[in-house]
Order: sequence, then structure tokens, then C-alpha cells
Amino acid sequence: MTRVVVTGIGAVSACGIGADALWTAAATGTSGVRPVSFETLTNQRVGTAAALSDDDKESITEAAGHRMRDPVAQYALVAAREAISQAGLGEADFGDRCGVVIGSGFGGAKTLDDNYIAFGVEKNMRLDPMAVPKIMNNAAASWVSMEFGASGPIYSPSTACSSGSQSIGLGYQLIKSGAIDRCLAGGAEASLVGGVFRVWELLRVMTADKNRPFSKDRNGMTLGEGAGVLVLESLETAQARGAEIICEVAGYATNSDAGDLLRPNPDRAADCMRLALGDAELTAASVGYVNAHGTGTVANDVTETAALRQVFGEDLAGVEVSSTKPIHGHALGAAGAIEAIVTVQALSHQTAPPTINFNEMDPKIGFDPVANTARGIETSTVMSNSLAFGGINASLIFKSFDG
Amino acid sequence: MSTDKTDISQELLELVAREGMVDVSDITPESRLEDLDIQSADFVMILMALEEEYGVYISVDNELTNVQTVQDLLTLAQNKIQEGQKDANA
Repeated sequence: MTRVVVTGIGAVSACGIGADALWTAAATGTSGVRPVSFETLTNQRVGTAAALSDDDKESITEAAGHRMRDPVAQYALVAAREAISQAGLGEADFGDRCGVVIGSGFGGAKTLDDNYIAFGVEKNMRLDPMAVPKIMNNAAASWVSMEFGASGPIYSPSTACSSGSQSIGLGYQLIKSGAIDRCLAGGAEASLVGGVFRVWELLRVMTADKNRPFSKDRNGMTLGEGAGVLVLESLETAQARGAEIICEVAGYATNSDAGDLLRPNPDRAADCMRLALGDAELTAASVGYVNAHGTGTVANDVTETAALRQVFGEDLAGVEVSSTKPIHGHALGAAGAIEAIVTVQALSHQTAPPTINFNEMDPKIGFDPVANTARGIETSTVMSNSLAFGGINASLIFKSFDG
Repeated sequence: MSTDKTDISQELLELVAREGMVDVSDITPESRLEDLDIQSADFVMILMALEEEYGVYISVDNELTNVQTVQDLLTLAQNKIQEGQKDANA
């Protein structure tokens, strides 16, 4: 069976540009959440998000701006460039044997929002003629493929909060099956625009306070944005070009609840984790750290805890579980990719990043999610979970590369 | 808008009935929301109406988990409206 390894990681988030900026923030518990305001929202109820800083947005536009690119594609390109540079891929390493799987929940949200305002409010008929190719969900993946000449298959999963995890999982499966040798896989999201923010407000799952996953006083999530891209390769091709291997993708699984559109099902999330462990041929006992979906909403955190207990035992002994969402925000279609990158770095640094803003144990949850301060771990195996609206679960398992 | 507690209770009861799509004569403060078949999606509609009419933002989360009856919801809404008015006057 073909083994799949990670040879490069790249990230753009509210914590800054680069996977190192993301990891430093995650490990030190430094939040990228900041005040946000939108011109079109006259009575904004939620005042914060993990938005990119203005300086970072500006430098990304300088580096990757183009009149045919929405910010979502710019974020993906900047993350992909970093991952590819770290992997040391050259021109000959792309071509038909290299695929691109980059998902997004909202696609070109800014372009859509701007053009609807122009069309519906300002009654302007001269809209952006490039709106269609900027809005389409696969634009980020296509721009990455064009820049590097990766002419293998492109997929762009749009499965809400599981888009990024499923993209990495699908890339892994494509390599494992022998369809391709290499894949640029991840997720991108740039949906912090007035219209999208308002509909999240209306769904009432955002906190007007701070995002506090697993804490008794949690009352909702904080939106984020950004992109994460991983270079995945078959072990054989990575070794043939003398690449430095960061870790191995040990296993992946995805399933669906086929139940409620919004309310998650703990049994199905547990099944998904077990399937991923089965794919990795590992037991739950070998997993030392789980980066939880941990949105900080009541529905998610209680369900996810129940699922984790089914898989890792009632007392969750021997495994550290945390949510890094209060640090980089809930980046929706990019969340799974950004969190996979945090998880890979947790493995490399043997450190479980903390769940910040944690105040008090909830009796309905009853475990300490690496509260507020990072903790050392000794483990060869880590897991990252995504549980999306639409009942879509995805679990990724990474392990240290042992030759 | 009246801030008298009884008046606001009646207004809120009517709002819950309207947005939860149940007949106002079928509900009492003691009615369990579950028995009225008011589900999470209806909650979102009720909370949106509360925001529109009283300017309060209540997220679906922590504070709502202990809400079982219509009265629980009314109490939570009243507290939030009072908090909101206090903030506005501060």
C-alpha cells in the first residue's frame, strides 16, 4: 500500500502569514481575534472575528493580487507558495501526477457581496465582469494549479466546516490509490463580509463575548478566515527527490449523519474517528493529542465530548484534547486545513496547544481541554476532527515518520 | 414600548406563539417548549424577532440550554431586555 507523507505546510490566518506565525500563536495562546465592522451592517450585534490584519491583507494583495482573484484565491495562493517552498518542489515535480484539492465553504464571498450590493442597492448594471470566475468555489484550487502547472485532477469540496479536512483526506486517498503521486491539499475562506456576517448573526451561533470552547460559560463561536495548504506526496516520490518529511498521513475517514442539518450526532462522529483509526491500523490508545472541532457552541461541544468518550474511553485518559479556534477563529472551509497544520506542528513540537479563554469546567463536559496553557505531550500520533453543518464528519490522523 | 413586566410578558408570549407557529391560546407560561413542538429552528426565528423588536442579541447557546418552558424563555428574554436597556442608559 502506498504511504503518504507531508513535506510542506503553509498557512494564512488572523495570527499572521505563515505556518510558523500560526503555530507560535497557537502554542502561546495568542488570539488573532480583533474588532471588526462592516459598512453595510447598521446594527452589528457581534463585534469581533479572527480577521486578517490590514497589514497582512495589504501584503497578500501585493503578493497575489489580480483583477480576476477574490481574496479567497489570494489566501490560497500565498499558503500554497509557502508549502511548496518548504517542500522544495521544482517545475518537474508538478504536471499530470500532481493534483490540487482545495475546498471552500463560501468561495468568492467578497465578490458576491460587493456585486449584490451594487446590483440590488445601488441599482448599478455595470457589475464586475469577472464576478463569475472570482465567485466560483474552485477558483482558489484552479489558481494554485495554474501558478505551479499542477495539471492532475482538481477537486474543490464545499462541505461547510469539513471542506478543508475532506480536501486533505481526498488528496491522501488519491495518492494512496495510485491515481497521483503528489497533491496540494487544503482549504481557503474569506467570507468576513457584511452579508455573510449578518446571516451568521441570525443563526445565533456566534458569541457577542469571547469564544470559550468546552468552558461552562461558552456561548458561541467566533468566525475566522484564511487558508491552509499541505504538500502531500507518496513516500516513494518524496524519498526519490530527497525531500524532508514532516510526518506521515496515517489515516482518514469521513461519514455523514444523514440526520439533522444543524444538530450533530455523537455516534456518527465517534464512528468517523473509529473508521480513521481503522484506516491507519492504529488503536485509540496510540493517539496522544486531538485537535477538536470545538466551536464553543453548546450543540457542538457536548456532542463532540460524548463522541470522544466513546472512542478514547470515559475518562479520556492518555489523550490531550484542545480547541484552537479561539486563537485562529472558526475559519469554516479553511478550518480543517488550518487545524490540520496546527495538529501537524503539535506533533513536531510535542506540544498540545491550549484552549484559551477557558473559565470553568462544565459538568456536562467534564474534562480539561488543555485549559489556557500549552502542555507537553509524548506521542507519535495525533488527530484532527471536523464536524460540519449538513452532518459531515471528517477525521485525519497524522503520525511521526519513522522510516 | 411598555416596560411594565406584565405587559411585556404578554407581548413576549404573543411573539413566541407567532414565531413558533403555535396558537397563542394553546400556550401558558408553564407549557414545555418540547410539548409545543418548538424546535431549534423555531428558536432562531423567536430570537430574531426578539432582536428586531427589543434590540437584544441572544445566541442559541449556553443561556438557552436550560430553557425548558415558555416561562424560562420569557424570563431569559426579560433579563436580556433589561440588561440591554441598562446598557443603553449607561
